[in-house]
Amino acid sequence: MPGMADVTGEGTRASLIRTAYLAQTRWKAIQARTARRYMELHALSASLDMFKPGAIVPWVSYLFPTELLTSYGLTPLIPEIGSAVLTGSDLRETVEAAAARMPLARDVCSYHRIALAAVENEMLPAPSMCLGTTPLCLGKECLLEMLAVRHGVPFCEIRVPLPPDEGDTDPEVVADVAEQMRELHDSIGRWTGLTGDLRRAVDLSNRASVAWGRIMSERLQGRLELDGRRTFAMVFLGQLLWGTEEGAKDFERLLTEKGRRDLLAPRAAADGKLKRLLWLHTVPHHDKELFELIGERGATVIFEEMGQMHLGPVDPDDPFPGLARRLTDNALWGSSARRARLNVDLAKHLKVDGAIHFNHWGCRHGLGSVPVVRAAFAEAGIPFLAIDGDALARGGPQQEKSMQAMESFLEML
Amino acid sequence: MADVYYTCNLLPPQLVSARGHSLRWLGNHLDDVAASSRRDALGVHPMTCPYVTRLVTAAESVLATASADDCVIVPGGCDAMRRLGDLLAATYPERVFVLYMPRSAAPGSRGRLARDLAALDEWLAQRRPVAPPAPGATESPPEADGPRLQHVGQPQPGGVFIVAGPLSDDSLLRLITDLGAGVAGLESCTAPERWLALCPGSESGEAEEGPTEHTFERFAALMLDAGACPRRSTLDRRSHLESRLDQARPSAVIYARQSFCDPGAYDALEVARLAEERGLPFLEIEVGFPFESSGPLRTRVEAFLEAQSIEDDLLAGFDDDLFGDSSGLADLHADKEG
Repeated sequence: MPGMADVTGEGTRASLIRTAYLAQTRWKAIQARTARRYMELHALSASLDMFKPGAIVPWVSYLFPTELLTSYGLTPLIPEIGSAVLTGSDLRETVEAAAARMPLARDVCSYHRIALAAVENEMLPAPSMCLGTTPLCLGKECLLEMLAVRHGVPFCEIRVPLPPDEGDTDPEVVADVAEQMRELHDSIGRWTGLTGDLRRAVDLSNRASVAWGRIMSERLQGRLELDGRRTFAMVFLGQLLWGTEEGAKDFERLLTEKGRRDLLAPRAAADGKLKRLLWLHTVPHHDKELFELIGERGATVIFEEMGQMHLGPVDPDDPFPGLARRLTDNALWGSSARRARLNVDLAKHLKVDGAIHFNHWGCRHGLGSVPVVRAAFAEAGIPFLAIDGDALARGGPQQEKSMQAMESFLEML
Repeated sequence: MADVYYTCNLLPPQLVSARGHSLRWLGNHLDDVAASSRRDALGVHPMTCPYVTRLVTAAESVLATASADDCVIVPGGCDAMRRLGDLLAATYPERVFVLYMPRSAAPGSRGRLARDLAALDEWLAQRRPVAPPAPGATESPPEADGPRLQHVGQPQPGGVFIVAGPLSDDSLLRLITDLGAGVAGLESCTAPERWLALCPGSESGEAEEGPTEHTFERFAALMLDAGACPRRSTLDRRSHLESRLDQARPSAVIYARQSFCDPGAYDALEVARLAEERGLPFLEIEVGFPFESSGPLRTRVEAFLEAQSIEDDLLAGFDDDLFGDSSGLADLHADKEG
C-alpha cells in the first residue's frame, strides 16, 4: 500500500501514486460532502503540487497572509501543518528518528524540530523563499531564516509591533505593516517572475472570511455549537487555502447543515447537559484519548482560541491595511495581560464551564503567558486547567499525566 | 536615588542615569532563594530557560522588598524574556517596563526601537521626575551595577573560543583554563565588551547628556550594532561570529547553551556549521544560570580538551619527510577525514 514516502517522491511512479492518493481522498469527500472533508482534499492537493519538480515552495509562518501567495497561484508550506501531517502518517517513525538524530536541541518546539528534520531528509520540499511574521513566536523566525540561509533563498520578515493591552492598534503601526506587505507582495512577483492577481485572491478570501465570520458569530451567540477540536483542525488546514476558489467554496459549505454536520459538538443525553469547555492554544493533533476522556466525562470543547482569525472581509480595493490588522490585532499576539483579558471575556461571553490551556512542548510564547492567564481566570471565578503535552505526540508518559490532570479537572467541574 | 533593575545588557545606561536612577543588573541579585520557597511566589513553567527562571525570583524579591520608587526594565529579546516581563508587569503594575527588542537592524526596526526608547524615557521621567544633569556638570553619575563576568587573562590565539548566553561569572572560563587550555575569545551577552560598549565614555558610547529624539535614534542604532546576539537575524549573527573567529583564531569552539533557549538552540547549530567550515572541533554543553560546573559537565569539557591536545601531540610527532610530497598537517587532516 503506498504511503506518504511514495506520495512525496519524484518521478512518474510518485506522480501516479499522488493521483491515486488524491482520487481516494476525493472519493471520501464526495461521499461525505462536508466542508471538512473537501478542505482536506483541497489542502492535500495544493500541498502535493509542491513536491513536483520545479515547484515554487514558499515556507511561511502560520499567520502569514496567504493571499499574498495565492494571488500568484502559490501554496504556502507552513512548517506546523507539514509537521502535523507527517507525524499523522506512515512517515511518523521515519521523521521522528530523523529528528532524534539532529543536533538541534530537543527542547525546541516539536513543530519546528520535525519540520527541520523533514526538510533535511527530503520528506518536505526545500524552500524557494522563506517568509515570516513577528507573531506569534521567535522560534519559527529563527527556523525560517536559518533555512533561507542554508538554501540560499530570500528571507523576509513582516515586522509587527506588539498591540496595546487595551484599545486599538495605532493606525501608524497598521500602515507600516501594510506597507511591508505591499512591498513583499511585489518582491514575490520579482523573485518568481509570476504575475499576481491580488484582487481575485482577496475576493475569494473575502468569500471565505464572510462565511467563516458568520459561523463564528453564530457560535458566539450560542446558536451553533461546533466541536472545538475538529473545527481547529479544519481552520488549521484552511490556512493553506485563503484566496483560492477551493478555500472559498469549502468555507461556504460550512453555512449549510450538511456541510458542517461532522463538526457539530456532541449533544448530551435527553436528561443531561454537557460541560462546555474553551480550549486555549494549539490542539493535540493525534491524541484522541484525551478528547475521548473529555467526552466520557460529560464535557465537550465548544470553542477554540486559535479559530479566531479571518472573521471578516478586507477592502478589496486596498487590502493591505485589513491584512495587516489580522496580524496586529491577533488574539494571541501582545502581552500576556491582553491575552488573558480577551480569553476571560470570551469565556464569560460563551458561559463556558471551564478553560483548558494546552502547554505545547517548546512553546515559550504560549506557555509563558499561562501564569497571567491562570490568575485572570481565577479572579473571574472560571475553572482553569493547564496541561503539558506535545501537539504532535501519540501516547507516552506525558499523555498519561495529562489524562489524570484532565480527569481530576472534569470531576471538579 | 531610585534603582532600576534590568534583565538584558542591551540597555544604554545613560538613558536611565539621565533620569537620576541607578542601574542594576538583576543577575547580580539572585541570592534571595527564600523568595522562591514562598507558596505564593511567582513562578514560570519548568520548560523555561534557567536565566529567566532565576530572574523571576530575583525580580519578585526586589520588587516586593525594595522602595516603591525602584522598578524593573525588561528588554524582551526572546519570547521567554518577554513573558517574564508580562508576568512582572501584571503582578507589579506601573513598576515594570517591557521593551520589545527587534531581530533585525533594518531601518524600520531601528525607528520602532527609537520610539520605544522614547516611551521608556517618558515612563522613567513620570516615575521620578529628576532634571538631567546640566551639561558639563561635575557631579558623578549614578552608579551602574553591571555583570561581573571578566576575562581570565589575555585572549590566547589557539585557545578555545567560547560562545554562550548570559554567564553569571568567569567560572566557565576558569574551568577551561584550569584544565590547561587557553581562552581565545568569549562571545556572551554578559561579556564586558558587549555591555561596556553601551556605557558612556566608551569608544562607541556617548557622553552623558539629556535625551533627545536624535539620542533615541542613536541609542537604537547602538543597541542593534552592539547586540548581535543569538536572537538576532541569522545573517547578522553569522557575520558577527565570523569576524570574532577571524580575530580570535581559536583551535576549538565550545558552545554553552542554556536549556529551553530557542535562540540558543538555533544559534548553536549555526556555530557548529561555522566551526565545521573552519575545521575546528566543536562541543556543545548545556548549562544553567548561574553557571555551575557539575561533574559530568567538567568531564565532557575535559575529555574534549584532552582530545584536542592528544591530536596536536600525535600530529606534532609525525616526520614530514616520510610523506614525500605531502605539504604537512593540512594533508594529514584531509587524509584522516577521508
